[in-house]
Amino acid sequence: MAKTILVVDDSASFRRIEIMALTGAGYEVIDACDGVDALSKLDQLSEQKIHLIICDVNMPNMGGIEFVTRAKQNPKFKFTPVMMLTTEDSDGIKQQGRAAGAKAWMVKPFKSEQLLNAVSKLILP
Amino acid sequence: MQTLAIEGEMTIYTAADQKTALLDFLNTDDVLEINLASVNEMDTAGLQLLILIKREAAKLGKTLRFVMHSKVVLEILELSRLTNTFGDQVVLSPNEESSR
Amino acid sequence: MSFDKDMQEALDLFNIECTELLQNMETDLLGLENSADLRQTINAIFRAAHTIKGTAGLFGLDHIVRFTHVVESVLDNLRDDKLSVSSALVAALLPCCDHLNILILNVAKGSLEENAALTESGNRLLDELRPYLETTTAIESSDLVLPNHAERIETIVNDAIEPGNWLLFLQFGENCLRDGMDPLSFINYLATLGDIVDLTTFSHAMPEAGSMDPETNYLGFEIILKSDATKEAIESVFEFIREDSLIHILPLENRIPYYVELINSLTEDNAQIGELLLKSGVITQRELEEGLKAQHSQAKTQEIPSRIGQILVDQRVVQQPLVNAALEKQQQIKDNKIRENQCIRVDAERLDKLIDLVGELIISTATASLRGMKTGDIALQEANANVISLVEEVRDSALQLRMVPIGTTFSRFQRVVYDVSKELGKDIKLVINGADTEVDKSVVEKIGDPLLHLVRNAMDHGIERAELRVERGKPPQGTLGLNAYHSSGNIVIEVSDDGGGLNRDKILAKAVERGLIPAGITPSDQEIYAFIFEPGFSTVDQLSNLSGRGVGMDVVKRNITELRGVISIDSVPEQGTTLRIQLPLTLAIIDGFLAGVGDASYVIPLDKVVECVALTTDDNHDFMELRGEVLPFIRLKQLFNKKGTAERRQNVIVVEHLGLKAGLVVDRLMGELQTVIKPLGKLFEHVQGVSGSTILGSGEVALILDVPTLLRQQELSQILT
Repeated sequence: MAKTILVVDDSASFRRIEIMALTGAGYEVIDACDGVDALSKLDQLSEQKIHLIICDVNMPNMGGIEFVTRAKQNPKFKFTPVMMLTTEDSDGIKQQGRAAGAKAWMVKPFKSEQLLNAVSKLILP
Repeated sequence: MQTLAIEGEMTIYTAADQKTALLDFLNTDDVLEINLASVNEMDTAGLQLLILIKREAAKLGKTLRFVMHSKVVLEILELSRLTNTFGDQVVLSPNEESSR
Repeated sequence: MSFDKDMQEALDLFNIECTELLQNMETDLLGLENSADLRQTINAIFRAAHTIKGTAGLFGLDHIVRFTHVVESVLDNLRDDKLSVSSALVAALLPCCDHLNILILNVAKGSLEENAALTESGNRLLDELRPYLETTTAIESSDLVLPNHAERIETIVNDAIEPGNWLLFLQFGENCLRDGMDPLSFINYLATLGDIVDLTTFSHAMPEAGSMDPETNYLGFEIILKSDATKEAIESVFEFIREDSLIHILPLENRIPYYVELINSLTEDNAQIGELLLKSGVITQRELEEGLKAQHSQAKTQEIPSRIGQILVDQRVVQQPLVNAALEKQQQIKDNKIRENQCIRVDAERLDKLIDLVGELIISTATASLRGMKTGDIALQEANANVISLVEEVRDSALQLRMVPIGTTFSRFQRVVYDVSKELGKDIKLVINGADTEVDKSVVEKIGDPLLHLVRNAMDHGIERAELRVERGKPPQGTLGLNAYHSSGNIVIEVSDDGGGLNRDKILAKAVERGLIPAGITPSDQEIYAFIFEPGFSTVDQLSNLSGRGVGMDVVKRNITELRGVISIDSVPEQGTTLRIQLPLTLAIIDGFLAGVGDASYVIPLDKVVECVALTTDDNHDFMELRGEVLPFIRLKQLFNKKGTAERRQNVIVVEHLGLKAGLVVDRLMGELQTVIKPLGKLFEHVQGVSGSTILGSGEVALILDVPTLLRQQELSQILT
């Protein structure tokens, strides 16, 4: 049973590469371009489980931290691991994110390999 | 002898409900069997439940066996090196493939 | 600079380093059986071999790496107590040192590849080592993995792989499950870094069923991980959950010695404990930073905050023995720094150049001073005097630069004594005294060969066989002494043995037989012993292949004379013999006394001059009376066939050496000077009575008189007439 990952990023090209890497490693990927889009994608899910949310911090419409806070209010995603991606290694943002329930953080840029390593720390095969 | 078959996942999402169910099951008989053949996902929370229920059974002097471990369960037991500690006979469940 | 030149320089350095390392290794091997601190000695030997291997690898000198690797394996077994020290083992390892020396010498000569003959002799030596290698350690030289420098550390790990390198204690935060961070997932990922040799799941933190929260994590894990990954890499596995968890990563107990060794072998300048632990990989940057942070906050509340090592141990990021090793290393680095500050390696050629220049400077100063005198300008003369005294200081300092302890020369004899004892079947120990006595480098270089001969001679002929020694009431083990000390501007080197002593009568008889001395004369013991330095003189009935063929002692004497030295002998029958070599501290510059004879000038070494007296009336006697003693004359005018009438007022310079006194008759006394000795050309090498020449401030050439030789000739002519 393939594990499903929700990828939220406003950069289409970045999503593309993430999707390529993750599907290449055998994960199923659902993608969204911002927090609003992501919430609606989550709402559309019926039975399907999300095993990991990978989410950019800075996005138009709804940023990552707000999205995670909201998503975690849904009992279906209360315990879902979240990995936040940032372009800056700022403790302030991390604090906010951690409070919202995002414990894993990665600073862009990184290689696909690093992304996959991080993902496999967070999801059992 | 009573048998309980666990269906679907044993994860943090199901742990609260399953804890109650398992503890209730413990009171049904002195010789108990839990069929793990249909467990298709498991995490640390699920493993904790298995540990808990084994411990409680031993405390109550009851015989509790895990049987028909699914591949997912076996992998978790191997990872935590608890297969021997639990001491249950381990065979690959015949309906393993279909359960996934 | 071209690559070739860089490479050549690097190779030259390699050569010097290895020669030193091998020298130390040899000394240590020889001392191994009697070592006070066996472990340390073994470690030192191991490190020497290890360093050679590591550096050779960097140069791509695979044959040296291959050879050293096997030697190192044996030493490793020794270190791990899988072998015990035995003379057989030492005897097998010593030739390996020699072989390495040859290999390295060949490298220095430019052959970076091994030749077939050397490979063969090397393999023979390695065969000798085979019994000391475990069967599991393959000596298949062809398929040895040759480490390059960067892989060195990894290689150590691979070489000595033991089950598990790291011990991990993981107690994840109780909220981790709710946060979506699954401990098992991290452990599963950890398995990609290496092999999880052992894992124990702890669930004792889990409360009664009633109060157990199924969404709370209660599990802890203890993991033994076999992995080549760094501690940093292992730590990073847990980066997402570090904040809420207790995570300790420690080198496994049985790996501690490895890390201790690693800490020891660090080539760090930074002597801080934290840095040392960090560089050896037993702690990570983060652990260090947190430790320092803790220390910092302690400093606010406590008078004396804990040492960082203690904090790291308390925080369970490192074990005490490793902190201890780092502390030791820290001390060692400090010591080295002090030593480094004291010592720099300087090309001997540059030093020689400096000495040459100082020599020229002295001559030029003399010229300037001479000119100054002629002007009658007092201020100029004072200035000149100042310059002269400074130049003298410069000279002394420059000469001091060339002074090296004689110990390095002496310690070479450990091996000689060991080898020769074995060859002769005698049990002889070497006792060295005054190893730190300093002497000019040029002297050290030239004294090796004569000493070697004297040592061999003493062992062969001086020290008796054990049975005879016991009969004479002496311990069966013979003692050979090498002793050095300073005595009135000279260095004295003694080679002593507690053997049978010289046979005075036998030598005398032989001397008479060879016509070296007329029969019926009884010279002093000293004089008799001196005959053993005559060419072809040997009283030994049986010749051994070591010495005793009568060649050698005369060569020894010639060598020492060339060094402006003197050799003398003390001997007590059945008690032993001491050969005493007296050498000038330096060969380059002497303080001299300038004297004129006719139109020529001569320099007499000042340390030989006792006094000067005027010869008021010359009645052509061959001696004069000086305070009730007869003082024989050496008339330089006659000696050097100088023309010209004698000055009306002549002078006598009284010279003395080893109790012999004579008066040198000269025309003019010209005062003291310090002067640079220029060796005589090949053509004049055999001229007796002259040890060198020098250029005077005026540009004139002056001969330097060899007073000891003159005195002995004078004495001999008296005996014979």
